[in-house]
Amino acid sequence: MDLMRDCLDKLLEDSAKRRMGRVDGIILDIEDGRQPHVAYVEVGVKTLLNRVSTRLANVVARWLRKVGIPTDPYRIAWGKVRVGLNKVEADVEAEKTPALEWELWLRKKVIGRIPGA
Amino acid sequence: MKKILEIALGIVTSVGGFLEIGSIATAAQAGSDFSFQLIWAIVLGGICIIFLVEQAGRFAAVSGHTVPDAIRERFGFNYFAFLYLVLVLVSLVVLAAEIGGVCIALELATGISFPWWAIPVAIVIWLVIWKGTFGVIEKGVSLLGLITLCFVVGAVMIHPPWTQVAQSALPSLPKHDSAHYWFGAVAILGASISPYLYFFYSSGAIEDEWNEGYVGINRIIAAAGMSFGSVISVAVLILAAMIFAPQGVKFEHYSQLPMLLIPVFGYWGYWLIVASVGIACLGAAMEITLEIAYLTAQGFGWNWSENQRPLDEARFSAAYMIAIILGILPSLIGVDPLTLTIFGMALTSATLPVSVVPFLFLMNDYTYVRIYRNGWFSNAVVIVIIGIAFVLAVLSIPLQIFGGS
Repeated sequence: MDLMRDCLDKLLEDSAKRRMGRVDGIILDIEDGRQPHVAYVEVGVKTLLNRVSTRLANVVARWLRKVGIPTDPYRIAWGKVRVGLNKVEADVEAEKTPALEWELWLRKKVIGRIPGA
Repeated sequence: MKKILEIALGIVTSVGGFLEIGSIATAAQAGSDFSFQLIWAIVLGGICIIFLVEQAGRFAAVSGHTVPDAIRERFGFNYFAFLYLVLVLVSLVVLAAEIGGVCIALELATGISFPWWAIPVAIVIWLVIWKGTFGVIEKGVSLLGLITLCFVVGAVMIHPPWTQVAQSALPSLPKHDSAHYWFGAVAILGASISPYLYFFYSSGAIEDEWNEGYVGINRIIAAAGMSFGSVISVAVLILAAMIFAPQGVKFEHYSQLPMLLIPVFGYWGYWLIVASVGIACLGAAMEITLEIAYLTAQGFGWNWSENQRPLDEARFSAAYMIAIILGILPSLIGVDPLTLTIFGMALTSATLPVSVVPFLFLMNDYTYVRIYRNGWFSNAVVIVIIGIAFVLAVLSIPLQIFGGS
């Protein structure tokens, strides 16, 4: 498998086929004398911005933390991930993970309070 | 029979939804300043948008992906972030122009100055998107948009010199005001080849659950719908060339628009213009608002669909609400909608390669479109027209802003 082509940036779905974001980063485990292996896939704004510029990622993360929004990326163990054709499926329940934190916050605090939502 | 109905409805909605403030303003200005001479730019833009819309529909039907979705996957986040920033900026300028168009129509109808209409218009756009389904927005508003066919009726009734009109379909060099002429061509191309149009079309194909069986239907809808749509733009240009140009009237303000139809339809011409501009711009504003939300949600892998409840896709709903708020700001502070429109269309032309080039790569990628890849002719047509639009934009925009000829 070509990780960059087949996994990175692909749509990430949970076990119920609900969209939970994209694969924003891939974490490799590197130990002396052993071949590197994939440990996790990551989802999160800091991981994403790190790919553009580390300085930008740090500035945005600091600002988000100041306003009370957590910026730690959410990691899914590679063993729970299945790479399909143009999508990646994770054996987790999206709403119980931090991947949908913003979605749930907006639903509860903003959108859910508007009549007709 | 079902397929024929689908094709007919598809063509009708494409025609009704084609005209927007950019096409009206650029065609009217071109007609008043250069008579029929810039018809070729509408023809060129029309050909390009036929190809792009057909390709966007084919891509979605075969791959099950929308265009932004696949650009993020195929080109990675860094390129997507660049494309996203450019497209959102350009789309917001065009959205502001469309909202300005609706406000101007209401000003013409009531006499109340257009900035006062910005918030009521925003509420109407939000309410329709909030409560409506994709079908309501796509088909309902587009069917109402068929009123813009009054421009075609008007253009026929005014008896233009058809030989000259036909000759103007071929490019010619300007006889005066070279910089303004080329800038006009750029603005027309930008109005015709709007990325939001084919991005929205690909999202629509996914919303309507198209599959490979729709490839043929899509081809007919794209070709017929966009061709007839371009005919409406040509009609606006003909009317401006027949009414404004002989009197030396320059089209410099939207309040001049009713003069396009009053000589043909009399009193009713005024109200036809008000209804045409209002409905066409309202439809376009809704589509652009949704497109900004689609682009955001698809690029970041959020839940999205206009057919779901807002509660089930809170980030998608928040994205279109923010777009509406940003879109009304220029109208609220009284920025001239015509200047904004012309500038937005030229900006669209200058940024076309950012979205079209990766899209062409996708249309030639076997993993997405398999045997339905583009042929050399489709690639060549789009590359040549986008190249012309980009070069003209880069050369003429500075000349138009800083002066020169």
